[in-house]
Amino acid sequence: MFWDKKIETLKTDDLQALQLKRLKKTISQAQNVGFFKKRLADAGISASSIKTLDDIQKIPFTKKQDLREGYPFGFFAVPIKEIVRIHTTSGTTGKPTVVGYTQKDLDVWADLIARNMTMVGVGKEDIFQNMVNYGMFTGGLGFHYGAEKIGMTVIPSATGNTKRQIEMIRDFGVTTIHCTPSYAMHLSEVAEEMGESLDSLKTGIFGAEPWSESVRHSLEKRLGVTAFDSYGLSELFGPGVAFECEERNGLHIWHDSYLVEIIDPNTGERVSDGERGELVVTPLVKEAMPLLRYRTGDVTMLIEDGCLCKRAQKIARITGRSDDMLVIRGINVFPSQIEHVLLKIPEVGNQFMVYIDRINYLDEMTVEVEINRDFFSGELTDLAKIQKKVGKELRDSLELRTTVRLVEPGSLPRFEGKAKRVMDRREEI
Amino acid sequence: MNCWDPRIEEMPKEDLQRMQYKLLKSLVYRLYSFSAFYHDRMKEQKVHPDDICKLSDVHKLPFMFKRDLRDNYPDKIFTASKDELVRYHVSSGTTGKPTVVGYTQNDLNNWTTSLARGLTSVGLGRGDVIQVSYGYGLFTGGLGMHYGAERIGATVLPASVGNTERQIELMQDLGATAIACTPSYLLHIGEVAEKMGVNIKKDTRLRTGILGAEPWTDGMRNRIQDWLGIRAYDIYGTSELSGPMFTECAEQKGFHIWSDIALVEVIDPKTGESLEAGEKGELTITILQKEALPMIRYRIGDITTMEEDICACGRTHPRIQRIQGRVDDMLIIRGINVFPSQVEYALMAIPDVGEHFQIVVERKGALDDMLVRVELNKESFSDKINDIMKIRQKVEHRLRNSLNVNADVELVEPGSLPRFEGKSKKVIDKRSM
Repeated sequence: MFWDKKIETLKTDDLQALQLKRLKKTISQAQNVGFFKKRLADAGISASSIKTLDDIQKIPFTKKQDLREGYPFGFFAVPIKEIVRIHTTSGTTGKPTVVGYTQKDLDVWADLIARNMTMVGVGKEDIFQNMVNYGMFTGGLGFHYGAEKIGMTVIPSATGNTKRQIEMIRDFGVTTIHCTPSYAMHLSEVAEEMGESLDSLKTGIFGAEPWSESVRHSLEKRLGVTAFDSYGLSELFGPGVAFECEERNGLHIWHDSYLVEIIDPNTGERVSDGERGELVVTPLVKEAMPLLRYRTGDVTMLIEDGCLCKRAQKIARITGRSDDMLVIRGINVFPSQIEHVLLKIPEVGNQFMVYIDRINYLDEMTVEVEINRDFFSGELTDLAKIQKKVGKELRDSLELRTTVRLVEPGSLPRFEGKAKRVMDRREEI
Repeated sequence: MNCWDPRIEEMPKEDLQRMQYKLLKSLVYRLYSFSAFYHDRMKEQKVHPDDICKLSDVHKLPFMFKRDLRDNYPDKIFTASKDELVRYHVSSGTTGKPTVVGYTQNDLNNWTTSLARGLTSVGLGRGDVIQVSYGYGLFTGGLGMHYGAERIGATVLPASVGNTERQIELMQDLGATAIACTPSYLLHIGEVAEKMGVNIKKDTRLRTGILGAEPWTDGMRNRIQDWLGIRAYDIYGTSELSGPMFTECAEQKGFHIWSDIALVEVIDPKTGESLEAGEKGELTITILQKEALPMIRYRIGDITTMEEDICACGRTHPRIQRIQGRVDDMLIIRGINVFPSQVEYALMAIPDVGEHFQIVVERKGALDDMLVRVELNKESFSDKINDIMKIRQKVEHRLRNSLNVNADVELVEPGSLPRFEGKSKKVIDKRSM
């Protein structure tokens, strides 16, 4: 099934011609952003100096840290009154990364999600329960608008209250769900405890964190769904960037909208098809916030073989990160964010350790931090107060619940070289 | 005056009524033919669509109640096919089964249009940055306001509820000019901002509040406006009507109820008889163009009065006064009806007390006992017993005069009563526990 058959199955020559045209337009649009204007001038590049798609390699990469300098609106290429939506996503330190959308951006984004969902065979007669966060997070509203565009019945259930989620699936005859794979595992357990078989379900769309083939088998068996992997990031609109088709052997990335490169994260050189590297994307259709050669930090590869569904080249499922970003319950966390929060709290020291475990399929993060002697009177109530404060500050900044453990000054490891503050003890899911 | 759709909003009253009659007539025919629920109800009431010959014949039609929705859980009275449904919202319901509301694409459009008119009428539009701090998800507040704000071309910040410090940072950094949330949550935001050293009046671009999902009074409005330097507008709706639907206009004199969307009556809740404009009673509402979950003479349980005169803003549609209470919220204290909003009204007239209060009702022996706990203002907070006693007497006196019932008053420290992110819970009725 195709949402837009012509564009989804464009012949290579036509696709490349379209990409080149859109790349030039994107570069002109990016000239409206001070950061890119300077970057491009320094590199001596303008839209007219791009003759072939390979010329894009002359343009420097854009990194997540660059976006921080533009906070809040420095990366907008249109006046604020053209912006109809703002989302935020984790920044590398205290301030979030702000992303903006014009009305056309919202339409294009919803259209991409509509392509994805149509590709896996869901349509207007389907009933869709969207079990991810709404609000500033792009996952909820992104899928909501795409599903609405197709004409599905949308239940905007958001997260939490698993028992009620299961009752709604049963009572409304839900056929399609969207959530993180770990929440789906949790959901299937609770459903089993409740004795609910959830017979109406047929399609599961899972994303926002990496997951394995064994989890796919397990989810398909327990929930009775066909499970599809979904990929996206807020800087590239949100979810909807790449998606599995019914073959479920790699994700179709929409080449008319995203120009893909895979690079060696250390040298910045391109790697060949079939070799793993960092995904670098230049979105070709973004108006409000164009980006050039954005380093996603996600590790994948371009798959050489064509697909039976006749859509264009796929990327492999994401296998890791080229930086230190963590994905905890679908939320992106940079260790630098944790450090930034702790630095602001005088009652604790600057040394910390982060432990990540998976308990009952759900990620749990524990932060150990040293207490500052000057603020410790020896009273237990003081300790509880400090612990609560640190927990609250972390929650507010990361949008994530963490367990905080206060430890004796000097008891955490010191590092001479590169600090290894994160212990990810999760088994692969 | 800014109008979203001047042709409709300023249409002469007679034309509006003619349009309403046509819409009502076709609604009644449609439901009589295609809805088993309404067919049976009309038969029971011995009314046939042919009996509806003028607008006032709406009185002949049967009422519908919240329990009808619960009894028909989840979708037995929907009149759209599964294919046509594009959204479900579910309200948690304090008792028993939740209430489920379904929407077709047209239903979403009408809901959004109603809000687009309302938001435009308070002067919002393209160039405004609207922070939507109602909960997103199954609750209609978040997505409803989101779609309305998007329709008028404003920049929408889908902040949802919670993480109040982050909300204040976003408000400041992203230049929010308007916020939509419950009045209780805005009070909370204001307090947290003060603690953070942010003066909303001076340090932000916030100028407008669209506050609803619970009843609040003009006294509270004055305080919020003075404190935060904004214009605060009430918004009315419930999930059964689609969600938040009708706002006040810039005049702040009641909700404009768009005649092409809804037909409102105010009735005597005991007899079901219609009341005249200006008389206080229970709001009854017929949504004229709802496809998925039609509502004829829905007894919403809110107490208000209707205003038929033409608003100073020039809009010709009828208005209802701000909600004075819910039939369900009404407390009967020693036989006297008391609405929490009356208590708020009385308290807000006393400068010594703050915005937060709580009503505790208990049965002591055979008698009902009402206690009103209210926070003192920071400025009035004192350790002099005499001062406190004086304020307490003033509050007791004021409450007795306006409620006609004696209430005990307990003055508490500023910041000591609970704060709420969504709807507040101001009444603790221990008689029913």
